[in-house]
Amino acid sequence: MTGPGGMPAAASGPAPDPAAVRRVCRLLRWYPVSWRERYGEEFAELLLADLAEQPRAWRRAANVARCGVSARLAGAGLAGYPADPAAGTRACLGILTCSLAVFLTVGTTMWAQLAVAWQWAPPASAATTVAMLLMSGSLLLLAVLALLAAIPASWAAIRASVRHQAARLRGPAALAGAGVLVLAIGARHFGNGWPGTGGHWWPHQGLAPGGIAAFGWAATLSVTAYWAHPAALASFPLAELIWMLLSPAAMLCLATGAVQLVRRLEVPARVLRYETWLGRAAVAGMIVFLSGALCWVSQGGPVQALFHAGGIDAGGLAVLAAALATGGRAASRAKLVSAAGPR
Amino acid sequence: MVALVARSRRSGGASPLSTLGRSAGPATLILSSLADGAKHGYALTKDIEAFAGVRLAPGTLYEVLSRLEGQGFIEALASDDRRRPYRLTAAGAEALHAHLCAQRHVADVGLGRLSGSWGVA
Repeated sequence: MTGPGGMPAAASGPAPDPAAVRRVCRLLRWYPVSWRERYGEEFAELLLADLAEQPRAWRRAANVARCGVSARLAGAGLAGYPADPAAGTRACLGILTCSLAVFLTVGTTMWAQLAVAWQWAPPASAATTVAMLLMSGSLLLLAVLALLAAIPASWAAIRASVRHQAARLRGPAALAGAGVLVLAIGARHFGNGWPGTGGHWWPHQGLAPGGIAAFGWAATLSVTAYWAHPAALASFPLAELIWMLLSPAAMLCLATGAVQLVRRLEVPARVLRYETWLGRAAVAGMIVFLSGALCWVSQGGPVQALFHAGGIDAGGLAVLAAALATGGRAASRAKLVSAAGPR
Repeated sequence: MVALVARSRRSGGASPLSTLGRSAGPATLILSSLADGAKHGYALTKDIEAFAGVRLAPGTLYEVLSRLEGQGFIEALASDDRRRPYRLTAAGAEALHAHLCAQRHVADVGLGRLSGSWGVA
């Protein structure tokens, strides 16, 4: 509350009671820093005046706590309405990016094991074939949407750096870049080292090219049930174990950097509306992927078969559904919050 | 402004303020208070209490003030004081007018029907 959230002292009249000032300081802590920087001083003045009239009022404390939490959730893009609609829309898109990162990690894990299995033999059940078509198509759609979203965002970042206004973007960009680099190099190395996936001698055997399937498999190697079987894990080569620890860190860097970039990159309102539209299209892609995954897990092949769905896949479905629900809500809120901008 | 009112009637009485959801009530009170001149937070609270008999809690007041400012319905004025005054913008005046006209239409219909069916004048 000090400085921008400074100690509340009346501009004129007697100095406020120090006990009241402490209470106001405590109440203001419910609000996020950005809100306090904008409204802290005047809000403190109002609270001091209110305290002078009604020294004890639990309803006031409860009201400030509720509104403070609401302001925090709004700032994070999770609920309510932020003070700045553009920043609120970017926060919602940040939540959507985060949900998409979780969805793609788990989704690619499922898809890659099926794509690798198809390198050896096509699925026996029609349900798995349909599932793979849906999952592959939606992954392709998500990749195209990501590319379409990146083009204007990159252009805005370049323009900001030309104007020397990109200092806030350097850290997240470096984080995301490092994540991409580690994932690309590592996944390519381990994907190529996996027998039968990097380059199968049967031409046109799989639905997806073997190299891409192996890349996806290697990138998501850490998402595995082997963590619950330490004895089996101990038999893995050391390099592979290190990769299983390093790759999640790289994914985390990539996701964190991407989310921070989305939140910090200031783009014109029309670009924000375009990105929001792409976000809603991405949610549609996620729904299609989840339908495919559900189709496979519910109708998967018998135990010991190439396309068998295990317990981890059922758990993966739950994670996909949770990520879809969060992303869908963020996309809807992004549209709602951007519509609440200045008229 | 007439066009705005007509549009709000055609859309089933939905005025710009009705998009504020549960904040529409406090927003109407705040905008009505600012309609006769700029006021800071405490003055708004006292004025609203005087003309509407409602005491807006501090958190609610600033939650709605920030939304109205974000939508461009009000704007903060520069002040040497810590208490920053707010004033109504032209967009805010239009939105308030449309909202109050829609409410008056509902009130007229309701009062007319009460008068006809129940004899309540």
